[in-house]
Amino acid sequence: MHYIALLVVALVMLVPFLWMIVTSLQSPETLVKFPPDLILTSPKFSNYSEVFRDLTIGTFFFNSIKISLLGTLGELLAASLAAFAFARMEFRGKKILFAVLLSTMMIPFQVTMIPVYIIMKWLGWLDSHASLIIPHFFGGAFASGAFGVFLLRQFFESIPRELEDASRIDGASRFRFFTTILLPLSKPALAVLALFVFMGIWNDLLSPVLFLSSEEKMPLTFGLAILQTVQHNFRYDLLMAGTLISIVPILIVYIISQRFVTNAFLRTGVKG
Amino acid sequence: MRSRSALWYILPIFIGLSVFTVGPVVASLILSFTHYGISETPTFIGTANYVELLRSSLFWQVLGNTLYYVLLYVPASIVVSLALALLIEKKIRGIAIFRTIYFLPVVTSMVAGAIIWSWLYNSDIGLLNYILSLLGITGPKWLQDPHWALPAIAIMSIWKNAGYNMMIFLAGLSTIPKDYHEAARLDGARSWYRFLYVTLPLLSPVTFFVLAVTTIGAFQVFEQTFVMTNGGPGTSTLTLSYYIWQTAFKFFDLGSASALGYLFFVLIVIVTALQFLIRRKWVVQQ
Repeated sequence: MHYIALLVVALVMLVPFLWMIVTSLQSPETLVKFPPDLILTSPKFSNYSEVFRDLTIGTFFFNSIKISLLGTLGELLAASLAAFAFARMEFRGKKILFAVLLSTMMIPFQVTMIPVYIIMKWLGWLDSHASLIIPHFFGGAFASGAFGVFLLRQFFESIPRELEDASRIDGASRFRFFTTILLPLSKPALAVLALFVFMGIWNDLLSPVLFLSSEEKMPLTFGLAILQTVQHNFRYDLLMAGTLISIVPILIVYIISQRFVTNAFLRTGVKG
Repeated sequence: MRSRSALWYILPIFIGLSVFTVGPVVASLILSFTHYGISETPTFIGTANYVELLRSSLFWQVLGNTLYYVLLYVPASIVVSLALALLIEKKIRGIAIFRTIYFLPVVTSMVAGAIIWSWLYNSDIGLLNYILSLLGITGPKWLQDPHWALPAIAIMSIWKNAGYNMMIFLAGLSTIPKDYHEAARLDGARSWYRFLYVTLPLLSPVTFFVLAVTTIGAFQVFEQTFVMTNGGPGTSTLTLSYYIWQTAFKFFDLGSASALGYLFFVLIVIVTALQFLIRRKWVVQQ
């Protein structure tokens, strides 16, 4: 009985994905058939090569990879440096700064987006990937880095202080301890954070919409959204193929690290 | 041990915080009192933006749409998430697979979800209306129908996000001591009563957290309308978040959009404060 309920819900969750796959293999003729064929008689795999050839999906894909990887790198750097200071050093205004940092997570983007846009204009970063990558080296244009500082600070605090004392006695500088001992020890926490940040950037629509205008610069989210909204009688077969391509990297990463993510989620999610 | 070198470690985050958050929060308050087109210099006009907004009927309609969406989405999504959590709480064989499946929409981008559902919602040849027709129901025109477009977005969003709160509820459920259920069982309480009188009260702090966060998120609905409806048909799905974006970057009225942003901010703060105020009435303190 319990299994039946589980299966029914699983079906509801999966049907949109399955229908995306089925649609992505339709031909223009079978696409508009009603009632629709639930089983494909002749799947059209060439849709996928057509998407890459005609819809600049390849460019979107490359942009997404570039922005997400570099952005993740930047946010991890900025967050781990700050988290180290918050976990292990004493300095004036530390408590206040940390409180301000955490409270930025609650400020809605609607309040800051206009000045942020103007700043990007001043910096000359509009319609360039700089606007989507460089802010992450400073904790993100919309305060996404605060979560990383929070997560890593907790992890760093769990690492025994004696370890740092020992390495200092051996003559290592604090920065050396940070790079050669603390960071390698923190691989699990860094991996989880990297995953969250990567997903966040990969799936983000707002920043690209705000800062980009030319199609060849767009990541998948923006590119697909444009394809969806601009043309109303668009070929849904190709659009679904493109959408599937945009989901696959995240799905692979998620399924591989599923246990990892779930645990991290259970630990950090409740505290928020 | 005080240290100067700490400065170097926090410098990047500090710069980012000042330039991208604290500065803009202040700047946007100032801009809200100006007339500011995108390539002009801002001129001070006092509270004119606010007065104009509060007088415009479109603003109130957009506010109404937003509140309607929050009311459609928040209660339903919390009930669904809790139901999912209860469903996968049981430690039976293969449960991890179901948990993974229920979480799949969460890791998928909102854009992808919105595109897929736009296709499902297609009123002529969409899968959803086909399934409904098999059940003898004539489906509405969903995204083309002013009465159904916002509920359609809410349904899609529940599918997309339910797995997230499910995980939080699951964590909450795992902290409820088994003894409580055992004691209630020995007293002869049936499972439905145990849920009402043991699970729900003990879970209420988690439910409060979920409610507060989900409400803030619902007020901010943007990507769904951006991809699925652009605020239409008519203005039926024009919500505050999208309206602010539109005012700023389609109509290039940055002053008015800043004022809208601040009204929006105040609205969220008020709603969240209200939730904290009535917290005592229903959240059980342990």
